[in-house]
Amino acid sequence: MNGWIFPGQPLQYEPLLPDDDDFRIINLKCRERCGYDLENKQPLSAGSLSQHTCLQIYGVAMSLYRARRLLFKGEKPELIAEHSLGIYAALNAAGCITEGDALELAARLGACMRVMSATKEYALGCPIGLSVGAVESAARNNRVFVANYNTSSHFLLAGESEGIESALAECREAGAFNASSFSCEAPLHTPLMAVIASQLEAVVSDYNFAEPVVPVIEHISQTRLKASDIPTFLLDELLKPVWWERSYLTLLSRGVKNLVEVGSGNALKKFNRWIDSENSQR
Amino acid sequence: MSEELIFKVKQMIIDALRIEGMTAEEIDSDAPLFGEGLGLDSIDALQLVVAMEKEFGVVVPDAAVGTKVFASVRAMADYIAETQK
Repeated sequence: MNGWIFPGQPLQYEPLLPDDDDFRIINLKCRERCGYDLENKQPLSAGSLSQHTCLQIYGVAMSLYRARRLLFKGEKPELIAEHSLGIYAALNAAGCITEGDALELAARLGACMRVMSATKEYALGCPIGLSVGAVESAARNNRVFVANYNTSSHFLLAGESEGIESALAECREAGAFNASSFSCEAPLHTPLMAVIASQLEAVVSDYNFAEPVVPVIEHISQTRLKASDIPTFLLDELLKPVWWERSYLTLLSRGVKNLVEVGSGNALKKFNRWIDSENSQR
Repeated sequence: MSEELIFKVKQMIIDALRIEGMTAEEIDSDAPLFGEGLGLDSIDALQLVVAMEKEFGVVVPDAAVGTKVFASVRAMADYIAETQK
């Protein structure tokens, strides 16, 4: 069975962009629906989109582009899973929304999140090589949240910048192999997002979602999304953590043998490699 | 530094990181592993830490040591040889 996995927001742009008709079509949709030029990696109107939102649109666009290329080669998914921002392109691959809607949703939700950074500074923290218990303890002690449970040793924290830095210091003290931080506009996948829940809900309510023609395993509880679940899930997923290891194991348990990461980078492939190596030692 | 150890380190990198379409001979012993060279990142680093411990019984305690150890294949082989003495 073939599985397509859609990664979350990339940390950076790829140095080289594709040069073909599919890329140009996706770029046109980015320009029309988001006011973003994929080729120049800039908003059409200066200052209209934050750098964070630009990177989010880019992430969705690259997933949509790679899905197009795979379909062109005759490859089709039989099961889909997604990580964080990957949900929008995943919903497109499953036939629930158009490419334009996937891009526009990401851009509009990104614009809502930008508001949060006006009053507080938020950051993401990436502790590597600690157990879940130690990471959760560092998060609790410093009033931040575990936003991504990627593997037994790879997590993402989100919260106010000060809390993230002190949580990472605690992780280093506890023996983390590495602990780095990144600025962000909003603490995605945490309850702190509740302050803009009504704005996020209003955006999501503007879209219609068709029944998936390919099953999509969502990243909160690893169940199959139905069309009627999607609006609630799109809001919930911004307030709850991503459980990638569980999602990957669910794909395997459902018989997926061939996995393709559809998007920028190969973070999910690396998480899967880690999970496989642990499983092979059990 | 023995060429045999360098070859073993290269093979360990290929196996641990599941690098497809590349042989040990194609990895430059002195090229940086992170950034430019093989383009590895911190996820790969932890995978290599575990593999080094399993294959060679050598511990890389943290990222600061890792930065030096994973500078190149030769640096990894040097660290293994030194630690195993």
